[in-house]
Amino acid sequence: MKNLKYIISFLVLWFTLASCEISQLSDPNNPSSDLVNNPSISEIQNLVSGVESGMRESLANYYDVVNMIGREYWRFSGSDPRFTGDLLGKGSSSLDNNTFYLTNPYGARYRVIKNANLLITGINNTTAAISADQKSNAVGFAKTIKAYQYLLVLNQLYQNGIRIDVTDPDNLGPFRSYTDALTDIANLLNEANTDLNAGSETEFIFSLSAGFAGFDAPSTFAQFNRGLAARVALYRGNYGDALDLLDDSFLNLSGGLDVGPAHFFSISGADVTNVLFFPQNANGELRVVHPAFITDAAAGDTRVTSKTSLRNSPASLDELTGEYDFWAYKSQSDPIPIMRNEELILIYAEAKIQTDALGDGEDALNTVRNAASLGDLPAGLTKAQLITAMLNERRYSLFGEGHRWVDMRRYDRLGELPLDRPDDNVWVQFPRPANDEGE
Amino acid sequence: MKQKILLNLVLLMFLSVQISLAQQTVTGVVSSSSGEPIPGVSVVEKGTTNGTITGIDGMYSLKLSTSSPTLIFTTIGYTKVEMSVGTELNINIQMKEDVQNLDEIVITGLASSTKRGNLANAVSTISAKDLSGVTVPQTVDGALYGKFTGVNIVSNSGAPGGGTSVKLRGLTSILGSSQPLYIVDGIYVDNTSIPANLNFLSAAAAGGNASSQDNASNRIADISLEDIETIEVLKGPSAASIYGSRSGAGVIVITTKKGTNTGTRVTLDQTVGFTNAINLLGTRQWNEQRVQSVYGADEVPTFVAARNAGRIFNYEDELYGETGLLLNTNLNVSGGNDKTSFYASVINKDEEGIVKNTGYKKTSFRVNLNHKFNDFIELSTSANYILSSTDRGYFNNDNTGTTLGISYLSTPSWANLFPDANGNYPRNPYGAANFLQTRDLMTNNEDVRRFMGGASLSVRLFQNEKQNLKLIASGGLDSYSFVSNVFAPRELQFQSNGAGVNGASIQGNTVVNNYNVQAFLVHNYAPNSKLTFNSQAGILSLNFDRDTKIAVASQLIGTQTNLDQAGSIQINQTRQPEEDFGFFVQEEVNFDDKIIATVGLRADKSSNNGDANKLYYYPKANIAFNLHEFDFWAGIKETVSQLKLRVAYGQAGRFATFGSTFTSLNNVLIGGQAGSLISTTRGNSNIGPERQAELEVGFDASFINNRIGLTVTYYNKNVTDLLLNRQVPLSSGFSSEIINGADLRNQGVELGLRAQIISKANFQWNTGIQYWFNRSEITRLDVPAFNLGAFGATLGTFRLEEGKSATQIVGIDDANGDGTSDGIRVFGDSEPGFQMSWTNNLSYKNFELNFLWHWKNDYQNVNLSTLLFDLNGTSPDYDDTGIDPSGALSNGAYRVSRLGVSADVFVEDASYLRLREVGLFYNIRQKALGNVFAGAVKGIRVGVSAFNLLNFFKYNSYDPEVSNFGGDGLSSGVEVAPFPSARRIYFHFNIQL
Repeated sequence: MKNLKYIISFLVLWFTLASCEISQLSDPNNPSSDLVNNPSISEIQNLVSGVESGMRESLANYYDVVNMIGREYWRFSGSDPRFTGDLLGKGSSSLDNNTFYLTNPYGARYRVIKNANLLITGINNTTAAISADQKSNAVGFAKTIKAYQYLLVLNQLYQNGIRIDVTDPDNLGPFRSYTDALTDIANLLNEANTDLNAGSETEFIFSLSAGFAGFDAPSTFAQFNRGLAARVALYRGNYGDALDLLDDSFLNLSGGLDVGPAHFFSISGADVTNVLFFPQNANGELRVVHPAFITDAAAGDTRVTSKTSLRNSPASLDELTGEYDFWAYKSQSDPIPIMRNEELILIYAEAKIQTDALGDGEDALNTVRNAASLGDLPAGLTKAQLITAMLNERRYSLFGEGHRWVDMRRYDRLGELPLDRPDDNVWVQFPRPANDEGE
Repeated sequence: MKQKILLNLVLLMFLSVQISLAQQTVTGVVSSSSGEPIPGVSVVEKGTTNGTITGIDGMYSLKLSTSSPTLIFTTIGYTKVEMSVGTELNINIQMKEDVQNLDEIVITGLASSTKRGNLANAVSTISAKDLSGVTVPQTVDGALYGKFTGVNIVSNSGAPGGGTSVKLRGLTSILGSSQPLYIVDGIYVDNTSIPANLNFLSAAAAGGNASSQDNASNRIADISLEDIETIEVLKGPSAASIYGSRSGAGVIVITTKKGTNTGTRVTLDQTVGFTNAINLLGTRQWNEQRVQSVYGADEVPTFVAARNAGRIFNYEDELYGETGLLLNTNLNVSGGNDKTSFYASVINKDEEGIVKNTGYKKTSFRVNLNHKFNDFIELSTSANYILSSTDRGYFNNDNTGTTLGISYLSTPSWANLFPDANGNYPRNPYGAANFLQTRDLMTNNEDVRRFMGGASLSVRLFQNEKQNLKLIASGGLDSYSFVSNVFAPRELQFQSNGAGVNGASIQGNTVVNNYNVQAFLVHNYAPNSKLTFNSQAGILSLNFDRDTKIAVASQLIGTQTNLDQAGSIQINQTRQPEEDFGFFVQEEVNFDDKIIATVGLRADKSSNNGDANKLYYYPKANIAFNLHEFDFWAGIKETVSQLKLRVAYGQAGRFATFGSTFTSLNNVLIGGQAGSLISTTRGNSNIGPERQAELEVGFDASFINNRIGLTVTYYNKNVTDLLLNRQVPLSSGFSSEIINGADLRNQGVELGLRAQIISKANFQWNTGIQYWFNRSEITRLDVPAFNLGAFGATLGTFRLEEGKSATQIVGIDDANGDGTSDGIRVFGDSEPGFQMSWTNNLSYKNFELNFLWHWKNDYQNVNLSTLLFDLNGTSPDYDDTGIDPSGALSNGAYRVSRLGVSADVFVEDASYLRLREVGLFYNIRQKALGNVFAGAVKGIRVGVSAFNLLNFFKYNSYDPEVSNFGGDGLSSGVEVAPFPSARRIYFHFNIQL
């Protein structure tokens, strides 16, 4: 009996103690992603800026990787041997499937895609006072950026393909082959274009950074969308489509070559500084122009002089020596182009040449040559000669912008890229990241 | 709710009070069998709490509270003596040495202690003498090396101010800290490492590993060794279970010194020492051909000109060759009377590092007060205030080529980096930074102001002949501010001429406010003389709050350090509140000291878990058999004086890491617009704690009148629901998610042999040999095997793989020898094959010699310093040969040729043998001094000692004890251009009044 009393008291005490509540915490430092269940307009703006800002993450890794394999410049790093080792295929090294040169840019691009998906969810869910057309326009923005991000990932993985359906992290879609993925990207751009052209709003419900100056309204952003679509059409070999798409893009055969949307950089506060900027004559960490870019150049090509800088003394690392700094970006707040009119002119030239309008194609090539203080190409070049010439103009016009490797691969000419050490290799593509493998 | 319960309990204790009657005073001297006085012996009147402690001269004086009492004399290292008091009030006692310390009282739980002879666990105790009596270790954790079994301690670098990883019985967590919980006088002491955001300059996390690699110190460094009376190490859940969800990695219980009622004592301890690097590597010897092969023909004339002008420099010596001065002053006063006793200390440390402009300064004040209101109510309080300032230099991995270590190894010896007469430093044409300029002009300072205070009130609520009931209510507060100050002025090479951000001032301020309150009821019941029951129940509430703000000002104006004198300012704030609540019950039964059994249960919940109000239960049970106490043993007691068999089982936990449940949006900025970008970590609302379940079995035996003692322990610790930072497919937009996704088993054996080899009046020699090892295996892994903790398989990395050791080191390898890598192979393990230590205490007349050897055998590091030297062509052994099996290539060239082919040359054996501690002292006792200082001086002690005096290892760098990633998780033993380790040599002067 006495024992029973103790047992009952004990159980009462236990129950009392067990029911002491402590509070379930929410993140004291950050907003929760659950806000997309009904975001305010300012939260939509935050998500948009997040997307735009996120596009700059690991961008240096992406450009360094692509530009190094394309033998445009070398990224020298005193503290990381894998730039001049793995990326140039030194000796018997291989590309690792779990190393920063792959995982950083890959993850960063999909992070932007995730943010864009959250943005789309938020736009669809919001009860803020915005019209259906405004919603469509905003979704068109998000889809265009997604398409661009997919394309950058695909450039690295190429025939290994990429995942397109990544909405549900617990149920990711399959890897799509290179060809299928390009089709998906083209379709996504077309959907986005439809969304951007819905209604007749003259402004987005959000604002973009100065990097998108001139492309920050639904109608002008759609021109960028069409430019991207033209690039994708080129990759797919659909040259006729490319010409059609260019019609609605910001292509201007007589316009400024640098016109186009860009990544914005700034030295202020928590903003990001130009990720490809190193000062001239830097040591330790630097980008050195591949010597062949200098030696192969036509005399007087201002594209060389404006994007490179002769060093006070040559820079050497890992049996590589170069005399010129990569000098396309002159300050920490220089923008990095996403797409320029010069590329559109070259897309136009390529599509014309490929559709046998050789004269139009050559004229377009001469446009960029003349802008670089070079004379016209000799008249009457054959289609094959013009293709070679076109690739050369792309090499110099788009130097350091991530095209050379992709271009040479498109034309199956990777074997023509210069090798610097006896056992170097040119990679065709990157493996699938280790953590994305088992599908 | 719980506050209310506590309040009720506190009110309860002001119940009946009785007044004691002081009668007579007994005095005497306690000495060893060789006649030496023994200080610090506890003298207690049996059946009461009335007691005292003997002084330096072995003398005691105790006012008796009962008539015809029995006195109990106990101290560590001697067998208990019971002596009844008759009419003779001068009682001198001789105590017999006991190497097993069977009578030592060991703290075994939140409110319980047991004498060692009855323990069912292998709890290690380290006394003040062993801890700080030999030499002056840098920090508390650094003082534990080799002093007990079952631990793996790794120092992260040689930087002043500490930075140490302590792992008890193997790895207990992969994601979180495997560091044990530290409790000092009942206060849960924060042991965080807080990075100073050097990463803004080094960009270390921008490469292959997102850890900041800032080489931060861990905050247990704030506790002063000199204040510590004992340290008890509860190595695993079988012993620590009652501490619940924060004790999965073991608990280190620290008790600080208390005053005694034998009059006021003053001790002044002054040490002066120096420190220098234990192992400098030398530099490459250059000639024209070598210069040409690394730097090209154009560089040769520069080299030749410098050589002809005698301007070839030893930059290693310039950077790491300083001899630092070490000053330690410890003044403490203790004393008291029958009711009140106190211990107060002032400790001042001023230590220079082996790199110019590095050092550690600390001032600590402590006051411990005990007061007995009467025989029933006792209050003890402790208060400790610490000021410390550490200059740690700028080391470890980076991606900007600017840390001192990286810029040093990229610079050849003919470079001229010295400033001109006007203090202008030349640019280093071979690296991103002039490391002499960086060393001289850059600041990396950590400043701590910390208060730790605790109070414990013990009330005997009820007592009769057979039982008593005690309430213990206690609370602890640990509150500190940690100010980090990194200043990189804009004239630095890497902050000028367009490099860097034109100067940066990075100021961090972390405020930590942790408090714990608890109340326990302890009931003792002895129905007859052979049986006692000890029942306990208690509740605890723990609150932790950390708030870190780091401001980064760049584009600085002139030489200003003020945050507003900048063109660009970034602020980052991280708040980390945590709240735990727990309660427990425990029952111990002691049958005549023959059989001792305990069962207990702890329950815990925490705001860190997916469900904050879900209770997690941790049971424990153990039993010990003292065979020598049984009658049948009498026949062999002459030879085997003690034999105890013990079995203990217990569970403990480790809460989910803060923030595991959140899927958040991070803030970003573009063109003045604030943005929200999805975090790379995906939250998991189902996250729960890790659970450690340990079975420990063993025996303790003593031979030849307790002169030889042997302890043998085996444990099997299963960790389930390990928290993993699961790498999720990057295409999900996340990179990781925290899950309870793996199990791990640690098994190990711990052997301890202690012997009193010589025990003569003038000469004593005690020795101890410890041997231990741990083996781990991942027994479940819910995710595919993955690499972590280093820089990828090319360079050697840790890898979690089911069925394999949790600490294995793997790398790519070229198995078929065709010159290309063809898979991953195991190259090593960071868990030592075994560790051994050998302690010795010798005394001859007034001389004392103590030394401790520590051998850590058969484990590996990932050595990337050597690789970076090689890639820059500057390795000291670049031109040596021997490691290329074909003999064709020099060491440097061969290692470089393995890059991308095999990680075999980067994973190196790190075994070492060290003379960890050695000290030689001479004691001048009061007898010899009596006339000189009119009896005022009770003793003088002078001596010389050293820490890490002799170090033997084959490892090809400054020290195999190194960690680029600090003390947490798996990653110790990865090396990238660290702050080199140092030895310390001291001269001691100690005077007692």
